[in-house]
Amino acid sequence: MPRVAVVGSGLAGFTAYRTLRRALGPGEIAVFGTDADPAAGWRVRAAAIRQREMRSESDGHTSPTSFPGLALSSVRRRRSLRPLLDSALDRYHPTVDEFLAHVERERERSGWDESVVLRRVERVAAVEAGFELDGEPFRHVLLALGHPGLNVPAELRGDPRAVHSYEPHDYASTVTVVGAGLAAATEWLNALAEGAEVVSVRRREPARRPLNVPRHYFTRRGLAGYHRLPPSERVERLRTLTAPSYPPGSAWDEPLARAAAEGRFRIGEAVNGARQVICATGFLRGFRHDPLLARLVSEHDLETADDWLVLEPDSTVPGLSDATRTLAVAGAPGQWAFPAADTLAGARYAAHRFLRRIQACRTR
Amino acid sequence: MSYTLRGRVETRLAALLPVLLGACVLAGALHRWWPVELVALMAAVGLFLDLEAWHRLFPYQPAWASVPVGVVELAALMAIVHGFGLHAPLIPALVLFGVGWLTAFVLAQAGFPLLRLGYAEDGGELGRVGAVAAVAIALAFGGSAATYVVRLPPVVLLSAGVHQGPLVITRREVLRGAPGAVVRGGIVVAHDDVRIENVTVVGGENGITVDGVRGTVIDGVTVQGAKLDGIHVRLAGVVIRGCTVDMLGNRLGQGIDISFNMDMGMSMVEGCTIVGGQQGITTHSSATSIMGNRVSRTTGQAISVDEMSMGMASHNAVRDALGVALYCGDRSMCMFDHNTVIGTRPDTSSGLRNRRGFAVLADFQSEADLWRNSLTANPVAAGAMTGATLATTSRPSW
Repeated sequence: MPRVAVVGSGLAGFTAYRTLRRALGPGEIAVFGTDADPAAGWRVRAAAIRQREMRSESDGHTSPTSFPGLALSSVRRRRSLRPLLDSALDRYHPTVDEFLAHVERERERSGWDESVVLRRVERVAAVEAGFELDGEPFRHVLLALGHPGLNVPAELRGDPRAVHSYEPHDYASTVTVVGAGLAAATEWLNALAEGAEVVSVRRREPARRPLNVPRHYFTRRGLAGYHRLPPSERVERLRTLTAPSYPPGSAWDEPLARAAAEGRFRIGEAVNGARQVICATGFLRGFRHDPLLARLVSEHDLETADDWLVLEPDSTVPGLSDATRTLAVAGAPGQWAFPAADTLAGARYAAHRFLRRIQACRTR
Repeated sequence: MSYTLRGRVETRLAALLPVLLGACVLAGALHRWWPVELVALMAAVGLFLDLEAWHRLFPYQPAWASVPVGVVELAALMAIVHGFGLHAPLIPALVLFGVGWLTAFVLAQAGFPLLRLGYAEDGGELGRVGAVAAVAIALAFGGSAATYVVRLPPVVLLSAGVHQGPLVITRREVLRGAPGAVVRGGIVVAHDDVRIENVTVVGGENGITVDGVRGTVIDGVTVQGAKLDGIHVRLAGVVIRGCTVDMLGNRLGQGIDISFNMDMGMSMVEGCTIVGGQQGITTHSSATSIMGNRVSRTTGQAISVDEMSMGMASHNAVRDALGVALYCGDRSMCMFDHNTVIGTRPDTSSGLRNRRGFAVLADFQSEADLWRNSLTANPVAAGAMTGATLATTSRPSW
């Protein structure tokens, strides 16, 4: 009977599963989710914004180790050393197709389907030396719940013109895009390419950086200082780090500059007059939007800070993890431990530490 | 990669470990210490730059930055090697550095991430492996240093007074004379890596004979009254420094004769004083550097580079030579620069054209390049005979 459970069968859960498989067999791990395809949700969203390239780089994959990365498999597939060279220059970004093919390939190899239990977990309860998932006992549990839902600004809910960027859609002749992150920037270019006039409505100017957060926050170098911050400062830091951003580069700037010169792209104050409003406003934020997390916090009186569930630096839940049991959080709700938790690198970070805890547990 | 300082150092040391082990093997095979010295220097330069430069300059270090980082480290390394006079051959040293750089690059980009799950997010820290690597490096360097010390040749102190020779040295050792130590009857070096210091040698067939061995160093010796040559070197690599050879009264012997050692690398005669003898310093089929010596009152040639030798005579002072002062003969290739030749005398009794008192003579298809020599009061300043050539250039033709 499995003693380790992963709640969530998306990419974060899959990444964790592949890490766990280094030490455990498929029969020792139970993955609870609503879809056996780990890329199911992500695929729909990427298709909706017509994303062709990943923002992540060679190590943006689901494998336990950062090497070999996707650049190496691209070398084999493209029969060119260019991906490796680009990777050395931090200019390599796998295509969405390459990434999805990688997920599919690894899904088959890893024994994932043997471990997946198609069932939504409603409740996690701490019990003696472990946890019960809807009554089923496990000693070590990783919550990889994903985003709790799409975020649509309150004033646009029910507006027939509004569609979320991550929902399938076409483009009208005049489009207002609300938001300023990667999805918004992608939508500006998509709509312009379709011949639309685009108005960008934003609350603040987006940051321009290659990855979701500055690079040193992906390693202990930046994380050590981050983990030392008192809660109020850490909340502020998280708000700064998770503010909208998209990569720098002429591939983004030139089409916008050209369209602006033609009068087809401008920054506006409001959504007035557009035939279509695309909400590139990302996901609902905060543990309160996730019923399972909200209940967990409430029933166990867990510490929170603003929207975030407070976690140890190793992504475990304080008070519910000790030498005999582990409750850890991966994916977006794990930002308290790792600001880029909603990336593949973030999923790997939580997975590595989860595995370490399991291996250190004498009674596992 | 955004390295932590600890991660940077651990990665550096762990990546250096296989290179150090390779260098130890190489040192053992070559019986030379430069590979280990070079790797130790690579470690020192790398760690210094890690602590003082790279960690501050690179909050994030992309893979491509390994190239300029490597170039800077190589430049610093070579400057130190040159500045401290470490005897590392250039090309093998560059190859060793290149292997080290490539090993570090491959390990940092592929090896360590495969070896340690959290390598990337831990900022290059290797945990126990890093600590083990640091200890292993310390042990390897410590072991090498201990081996070096243990393998230092024994020092034989020669007390003041006269010691009856000939003294035959048949093991690796340092023969060090106390002030007033004299060996009568000559010294024969019959083993590799022998060093002779501060000894006076009187008499003997040759004052000091070095035959068929490598790595001999003769430093600060005085030779007097040898029947044949003062210092006689055959098929052997030597360094002779600060010697005094008195050959007065010996018309046929050579002060220093280094011959037939072309395959033993570069030999050197430096800072010696030779008086008398047929030839002061002579080389035959040899590659020898002759620098900063004082040679006088010779009866054949003061300094002779002969019989297909390749030689450089530089900053020597020659006085009162009979017939020829600087000689380049028999298809040899010579560079004579910054020498001072004064008062060469013609050998009229020989009746030979090539003994007319040349300060510099190139003979029989030899090639001599001259640069900034001071030739004063010599019957003939410079000449070339029987197909030899003389050229004035700062760059030797070879």
